[in-house]
Amino acid sequence: MYEVRFHGRGGQGAVMAAQALADAAFVEGNYAVAFPWFGAERRGAPVLAFTRVDENKINIKTRVYNPDYIVVLDEKLMDFVNVAEGLSPDGMAILNSPLDPEEVDLGMSVKTATVDATTVALEVLGAPITNSAILGAFASATGLVSIDSVKQGILDIFGPRIGDKLAEKNARAAAAAHDRIKIGKCKAERTYPEAKKWLPTYQEMPLSLATKPTKTDSGLVGPGSSVENKTGSWRTFTPKYDEEACTNCLMCWFYCPDAAIKRLEPPKKVGFDMDYCKGCGICEEVCPADAIEMVR
Amino acid sequence: MAERRIVTGNYAAAYGALLSRVEVIAAYPITPQTFIVEHVSEFVNDGKLDAEYMPVESEHSAMSACVAATATGVRSYTATSSQGLALMHEVLYVAAGLHLPIVMPVVNRTIAAPIGIWCEHNDTMAERDSGWLQCFCENNQEVLDMVVQAYKVAENTKVLLPVMVNLDAFILSHTVEPVEFPDQKDVDEFLPRYDPKHAYLRPKDPMVVGSFASPEYIQEFRYQTEESTQNAKEVIRQVNDEFAEKFGRDYGGAVEEYRMDDAEVALITLGTVSATTRDVVDELRDEGKSVGLVKMRWFRPYPTEIIRDIASRVKALGVYDRAMSFGTGGPSYMDTKSALYGHSTIPVLGFLAGLGGRDVMVKDIRLMFERTLEAAKKDRVEKEVTWIGTRGVQP
Repeated sequence: MYEVRFHGRGGQGAVMAAQALADAAFVEGNYAVAFPWFGAERRGAPVLAFTRVDENKINIKTRVYNPDYIVVLDEKLMDFVNVAEGLSPDGMAILNSPLDPEEVDLGMSVKTATVDATTVALEVLGAPITNSAILGAFASATGLVSIDSVKQGILDIFGPRIGDKLAEKNARAAAAAHDRIKIGKCKAERTYPEAKKWLPTYQEMPLSLATKPTKTDSGLVGPGSSVENKTGSWRTFTPKYDEEACTNCLMCWFYCPDAAIKRLEPPKKVGFDMDYCKGCGICEEVCPADAIEMVR
Repeated sequence: MAERRIVTGNYAAAYGALLSRVEVIAAYPITPQTFIVEHVSEFVNDGKLDAEYMPVESEHSAMSACVAATATGVRSYTATSSQGLALMHEVLYVAAGLHLPIVMPVVNRTIAAPIGIWCEHNDTMAERDSGWLQCFCENNQEVLDMVVQAYKVAENTKVLLPVMVNLDAFILSHTVEPVEFPDQKDVDEFLPRYDPKHAYLRPKDPMVVGSFASPEYIQEFRYQTEESTQNAKEVIRQVNDEFAEKFGRDYGGAVEEYRMDDAEVALITLGTVSATTRDVVDELRDEGKSVGLVKMRWFRPYPTEIIRDIASRVKALGVYDRAMSFGTGGPSYMDTKSALYGHSTIPVLGFLAGLGGRDVMVKDIRLMFERTLEAAKKDRVEKEVTWIGTRGVQP
């Protein structure tokens, strides 16, 4: 059996990638399962997805804690998520990155394949959606599934969701990435801060979780604690604001899901708080004056 | 001086709210509970009760409003029955999960299908895992007294759980009988103003109540409910004793034993059948039969330790249920067996009668005792669950 952990962000398609890999392995006669793990957060939040493959029926229903492979769809995740946590020392990391494996630092030295999946995706799909390209890289880096099976997996899983035409395009993105991987070994120089979580005993926990603003060892909890959740780190696209064109209608201010748009004192109109702007682009969508453009 | 009047169970349930000085009432009428909400609205209208009365559009809204009101730190009240309770279902879990000490009389009425308005316990039994505490009443005096006691149990800081005060449809709700009305002054001394500590929504002092919780927290949250439920056992006893001291009526706590000294067998009952059973016990005692009554008053928390103690003193137990958990037996019967497993080997028999409001007659209760005495004699169970008074079914 081999186990794979996918790291992505809500909306990047990590879950579909995990499912397509399972489908590819299944097509080759294996038993395979794939499942997601996410919090309650929205588009842009870090998410996990898992794939398990074996020749025999798989009974285990737990999450994967010691994966043989990790797949990272968004290279910026590596800056603050210890993506290699629990990775088997004999395992392998498959990363979306324009860098050479030797330039990447995962905090542990392990066999690494890099592929500039974002560029591949932009070339083939016209959009920076890397979940199909990264699967092509997985196939060539590990040899565990053939690229033909991966293409089939993408058609089977993506087709019903996004249509056969787009699924075909995604299969082509996988094939394109297949031949553009670099294999080596990553660096082990950085240390990730230990992820701290507020884990009170039932006696310490406020009754029924009715919580006042409380400082804990792992940060603020209770009302207002989202101030510590800097969603700006999720951002791939950044709003470019044209104050001249802005009519100050405040649609963007009203719709911003993270209250990252502030009203300013006249004659200024609105401002963006980049600590919390996660780059979702809703402001661009709702702006009637075309005063906001999302740029990479 | 306490005053005595002839009133219905519904009036007693409403008057309990008046004496408890509830501050918010949100309710929706349903037969046979309707008179409760009408009486309470009259109390408010006539200036006898200083409360906000919210005539909401459904029972789901009634419980939602009570949840919100209680979370702002006031004592709230509603009442319902049958389908209305079923419609409240999801909000019941919110009230219990958030540890909001709401008290709600429930007039036990059969739940559809088929549509009926008469007594069955299948409405409240379906909510026995919701986290609510539940007590069953035998007469209208007990209904009034238990509304007052229920607030005191519910608001105890070791408990902080909502309570259903169950009364049998028509047999209590629409029946008049003498009830003693305690003086307001005495009730005020017994039941001070609700002073919430754990959940109190005030804009100046923000607090999250009813937040989202990931798997890292929910198991501890559930354990808090379990601990509170266990704590309620001791608090029920204390409140009972304090009430008895102040008002002179001692209900025995979670369970009342009647003529249980030297009894060879006992029948465990819920609701109004307990009252008729007192007379049957007296008759059988006169006939020289060694029988007693175990009146199950608080069904949640289930009085496990008390039932084990009783089982150690008798040779067989019968358990009367007015609801069926299909494929097994009545809920009280199943809980009794579960409590005794590994602690007692005496025969335990389940009896069903009076479903859908069918009258439970003296002869039916006599049959329950006869069967239990037989099982004691033979020291074995020949029939686990006996349906009494069902056409085509041999009891």
